[in-house]
Amino acid sequence: MADDDRPVDDAADRFDTYLEALLGEGRPSPEAVGDRDEAEMARMAAELAASVRAATTPDPAFVEQLRLRMRQADAGIASVQRPPPVREQPRPSGSGRWRLSRRQVLQAGLGAAAGMAAGVIGVSLGSRTQQRQIADDDQLVAGDGFWTEVASVSDVPPGSAVRFSTAAFDGFVVNDAGTIRALSSVCTHMGCTLHFRPDWADFRCPCHGASFDLAGRLANGRSAWRKDGGYRGDAKAYPIELPDLVRPRVKVEDDAVWVWTAQA
Amino acid sequence: MSTGPGPFEKVYDEHVVGIYRFIYARVGNHPDAEDLTAQVFVRAVEQLDTSREPGQIAAWLYRVAHNATADYWRAFYRLPLVGTDHVAPGWEPADDSRPAADPDERSAVRVQALLRRLPDHYRRVLELRFLERLSVAETATAMGISNGNARVLQYRALRRAALLGEASDG
Repeated sequence: MADDDRPVDDAADRFDTYLEALLGEGRPSPEAVGDRDEAEMARMAAELAASVRAATTPDPAFVEQLRLRMRQADAGIASVQRPPPVREQPRPSGSGRWRLSRRQVLQAGLGAAAGMAAGVIGVSLGSRTQQRQIADDDQLVAGDGFWTEVASVSDVPPGSAVRFSTAAFDGFVVNDAGTIRALSSVCTHMGCTLHFRPDWADFRCPCHGASFDLAGRLANGRSAWRKDGGYRGDAKAYPIELPDLVRPRVKVEDDAVWVWTAQA
Repeated sequence: MSTGPGPFEKVYDEHVVGIYRFIYARVGNHPDAEDLTAQVFVRAVEQLDTSREPGQIAAWLYRVAHNATADYWRAFYRLPLVGTDHVAPGWEPADDSRPAADPDERSAVRVQALLRRLPDHYRRVLELRFLERLSVAETATAMGISNGNARVLQYRALRRAALLGEASDG
């Protein structure tokens, strides 16, 4: 390739997006690389970036996660990439509607679950407190739906959660320091059913150990570890980022907690 | 699981860091190095015969890692690579696809030799950006040039370095 003989301003700007990803420890994309010459430059840049010794140790959380994956594969357990089997659940009493199995919900995709139900919000209890809402939630309720009574406020003291099922949705009613909220009980990784751990005030996935806080956000990921230096006795950080749990709209009337749910 | 590590897990423990470094030295970023390392061991758990000699096991793993990085770069070239850099993972004796020395040192030595052969301002911009990890703006300030000029300079410097690297590969 010839050197220094073509206009490079635009190419230099574009190629810098490759370098920014590489040096920012992101994932550089081939899209930023224009031709074979630039591919050679990208290889050179990768080699230069890798020559700084301190940067070359793998993340211990990655090594452990891959070890578990290898151990399961070695034992012939191909569970890691596969959703768990459908767990049969009793038809909720008083509902004439057929219910979706968990697998049907998964096949329809989490997006459908979101469209089915999600709106905002914690409903604040008590006039003195807060119109506290969960940030960056949009009103996603679309199409036909109805309110279903799923719990009594008195069943859910602060810091606790109770399971509920509607015709199309399984979740928890949560009391997060006075804010009542509904969260899906389906882990946003592979669709396993979360269980509530009162001592940790989190929702834990039995399949790969993700924990979600009472607002439905991943609580034991790498960014949380970097910030807090660990999580609740776990040996390692949960290795990938996960979307928040789906949050259906809720309302409280007298002692009753209602959840918005779509037509099944 | 309560049982101790099986034969495959021993192979994993012995090689995971070395394979990771081998790959990192070629892709220069952690997310891709993690993906490719996982690919190597996923293939190994399916195909590797752990009863082989340790040297053969290592050679097999490093060949698969070599091929995984070659495939990775193929996406950047958008063309089939010509030549012989794709090595079938067989059971022949280990060849140069396994680094003789610590890949960190090998890479650092090669990079230093390369940088010495560049004109001063090319060497300087690459040192600031890649070794000292300054941003474009910081590099521009350090060199007394505009941000745009710093981007052009790093671009030209990488082209020159890539040319020299190709020449020294052969």
